[in-house]
Amino acid sequence: MKSFEYGDSEVGRKEVLAGVANMVIGFGVLTLPRTVANATHSIDGWISISLGGLSVIFFAGVLAKLISRFPKKNLHEFTSLIINKPIATILTFLFASYMMLFICYEMRVVAEISKLYLFDQTPTEVICFVFFLVTIYAVSGPSTVILRLNLLFMPIILFIIFLLIVMNIGFFEFKTTKPFFQTGWSGILRGSKETIFSFLGFETLLFYNSFINAPKNTVKFTIMGMSIPLLLYLLVFVFVVGVFGVEVAENTLYPTAELAKRVEIPGGFFERFESVFFTIWVVTLFSTASMAFDVTLLAFTSIFKKIKRMTFIFFLSPLIYIIAMSPQNFAETSIFGEWISYLGIGFSMFMPLLLLVIAMMRGVKGNG
Amino acid sequence: MLRHVFNKRLKYQKQNVEDKQNDMPSTIYTDIQANLDNIKRILNAPSDFIQRIFTISDSEKKCAIVCIDGLVDKDMINDQLIKNIQLGMQTAKKEVPASSDEILKKLKNEVLSTYELKIVDILDDVLLAILSGDTALFINGTDKVLLVGSKGWDSRGIDEPQTESLVRGPREGFTENIRTNTMLVRRQVKDPNLRLESSKVGRRSKRDLVVCYVEGIVHPDIVAEVNRRLKTIDIDEVAESGTIEQWIEDSSLSPFPQVLHTERPDKVASAILQGKVAILLDGTPFVLIAPTTFVSLFQSQEDYYERWIIGSLLRMLRYVAAFFAVFLPALYIALVSFHQGMIPSKLAFSIAGAREGVPFPAIIEALMMEATLELLREAGIRLPKPIGQTIGIVGGLVIGEAAVQAGIVSPVMIVAVAVTAISSFAIPSYGAGIAFRILRFGTMLAAGIFGLYGIILTYIMINIHITRLKSFGIPYSTPFAPMFYRDWKDVAIRAPITAISKRPQYMQTVDKTKIGKGDESS
Repeated sequence: MKSFEYGDSEVGRKEVLAGVANMVIGFGVLTLPRTVANATHSIDGWISISLGGLSVIFFAGVLAKLISRFPKKNLHEFTSLIINKPIATILTFLFASYMMLFICYEMRVVAEISKLYLFDQTPTEVICFVFFLVTIYAVSGPSTVILRLNLLFMPIILFIIFLLIVMNIGFFEFKTTKPFFQTGWSGILRGSKETIFSFLGFETLLFYNSFINAPKNTVKFTIMGMSIPLLLYLLVFVFVVGVFGVEVAENTLYPTAELAKRVEIPGGFFERFESVFFTIWVVTLFSTASMAFDVTLLAFTSIFKKIKRMTFIFFLSPLIYIIAMSPQNFAETSIFGEWISYLGIGFSMFMPLLLLVIAMMRGVKGNG
Repeated sequence: MLRHVFNKRLKYQKQNVEDKQNDMPSTIYTDIQANLDNIKRILNAPSDFIQRIFTISDSEKKCAIVCIDGLVDKDMINDQLIKNIQLGMQTAKKEVPASSDEILKKLKNEVLSTYELKIVDILDDVLLAILSGDTALFINGTDKVLLVGSKGWDSRGIDEPQTESLVRGPREGFTENIRTNTMLVRRQVKDPNLRLESSKVGRRSKRDLVVCYVEGIVHPDIVAEVNRRLKTIDIDEVAESGTIEQWIEDSSLSPFPQVLHTERPDKVASAILQGKVAILLDGTPFVLIAPTTFVSLFQSQEDYYERWIIGSLLRMLRYVAAFFAVFLPALYIALVSFHQGMIPSKLAFSIAGAREGVPFPAIIEALMMEATLELLREAGIRLPKPIGQTIGIVGGLVIGEAAVQAGIVSPVMIVAVAVTAISSFAIPSYGAGIAFRILRFGTMLAAGIFGLYGIILTYIMINIHITRLKSFGIPYSTPFAPMFYRDWKDVAIRAPITAISKRPQYMQTVDKTKIGKGDESS
């Protein structure tokens, strides 16, 4: 069947924007106020967030610049052009493994949070399993579908955050935010380091590049996509500190969830807003996980061209599930997450920078 | 033993039929009697078969008309055909030519005062024409046949559409007659670019099928794709446009209709002017519209007839209705059995109080009530109209009230089920309503096992499915994903008529503007 003009294998710039934003917004927003407050001990955390955010946006720009240099090519293809094929294969393989670990972490976190706020008796394994089944259903279709789903989910996520903020305006007290500018440079920098972790995820573009139909706009829309989480994090942090004060923010596991608990729906239509918040939040965690899984598959299929996507799904899924279940408790999960974040910094910030520099030095360009 | 005999007999009969079909000569003889005999033999001389042999004017030439009683307009055959042939040549003071071919031509060009005439020389064409209600004229001495259009059977008049009645809007609906239907479409769209491509479908039923679109608006790929899929139809009987729908749809596993059907000519007219394709089939008032998107399931033609505020609000109401139809019982189950803390305490007490005597978990209670409701609905359709109301009373009052009294279900559950039922009827497309009913059971089960978490996962799955689904190459989820901002004016709301100046972008129409710029000089 002849495909319709925009129907099949291409996505536009809006999908890039929503995809980047949705990939980045994830688990981070729940813990970010705590980690930043722990480093800065005052409202000055907003400087950390801005600093961290802007520096990540710079690297996202670098990555976008790199991929827009090679339209319609993925990491494996353009690295083969820039350096050579064996190195490209090794890099892609490492990248795929990193993405795979990323899904494991994401899935585990979904299960932990749901257990905390929605269930008390259902075992983590089952919660995780159901979530994973839905993710498998998503990735068994074409990648463009997953990118397009972001367009459907983005408004919902922004709406629920917006609701969270608006409902808390009444509790916001300027008194608690004072005093300003108390934190030294070292504190602020430590805060930014924590922030950077929450901004990772845009590296999926390295593979989604092969679906983008307007390479000229990639840089612009990537940066726009990245600024959505930046604004969101700033708002959430300021509100957490403004509503609860720094001490509470430092000592709560999920300060953002506390913010949700504060919400009272006018008219008492229903109570416990945090349950609704988490229910909706599953959506964003799902988009992150499904995109990560999809990119893993894209990466593996770009190396092993003869093996079908479904075969990879079939063999990787049990592996991912087992890895996701292996951390024994929440502390181990956190350490697991931290290691993945370090890997992420390498893959999303240093690798593209290096590749771009080499590409520019050698003058390699895609023939698009 | 018996089976053996029986089989043998079957085999013999089959052989017989095959023989009969094989030695059916498909040629037309020059001898008129041979032709008549041949046709009679092929049709097995049915009781509604009419043949009449007479001579042309005062010549010695014999001719015969053949038609099927009931399918033809008798007055027309008497007045225009027989009378003209018998007398027409005389009154026109025209010589009867000597050769039969000449006579045929003369009849066609000068004598017969009817507009639908065709000369053919293949017997299959003749047979098909006769069976479709045309009349064949044989003349002794030629192997050519003149086909005269004489279709005229009893058919239902134009009536108000039964399944899609509106408060405001035209009262005309399609009928079973395809000519009437094309007439209704043509009357709505007098564009010279309106194309009606006819073909026949069904190996044995040979129904008339018309593909209708406006050239210069619709994207040519869509028409090509529709035609390509229609050509693949190879089935003996096309009973209704539903057969065609199921043959050409993209995914047969999806609960959502990928082709809309309608009884309203105005809906078809507006669809083809949006760059869609309509498929009309003879013998059914249901016309198919393709491609279809998710949002078009919520669009009623009336939205455009009412003022825009009303149209917009009603449209939003339908989205809410769809949400209720799919998720309301599931939310009830989730809240009652998993997240009691989310229910405001006063309401929680009253629900708990009401559920006190109910021996079942919420999911069983809900499934029972929903199943009862589906039963009532199905029974209500089958029953004759006067008895139908009885079902309403029995179902609504007796079962509802009695079930609560007996302590089988809680009153809150009855409220939830009732709201759900009403909501599913608020969807303009019947097929979509059914899709939501199916999905409801899925969400209920998910909620019964995983509560809110299950509901959100089902929601995600529905989203994945809709985004993946396509209708004739058009993504089902457009204009949301892929996103076309401009089309939102006619999706979530129904913007003022003057504000919707372009045709839907997602249809990639050739002619994009709907509203002219307006000539200032005039």
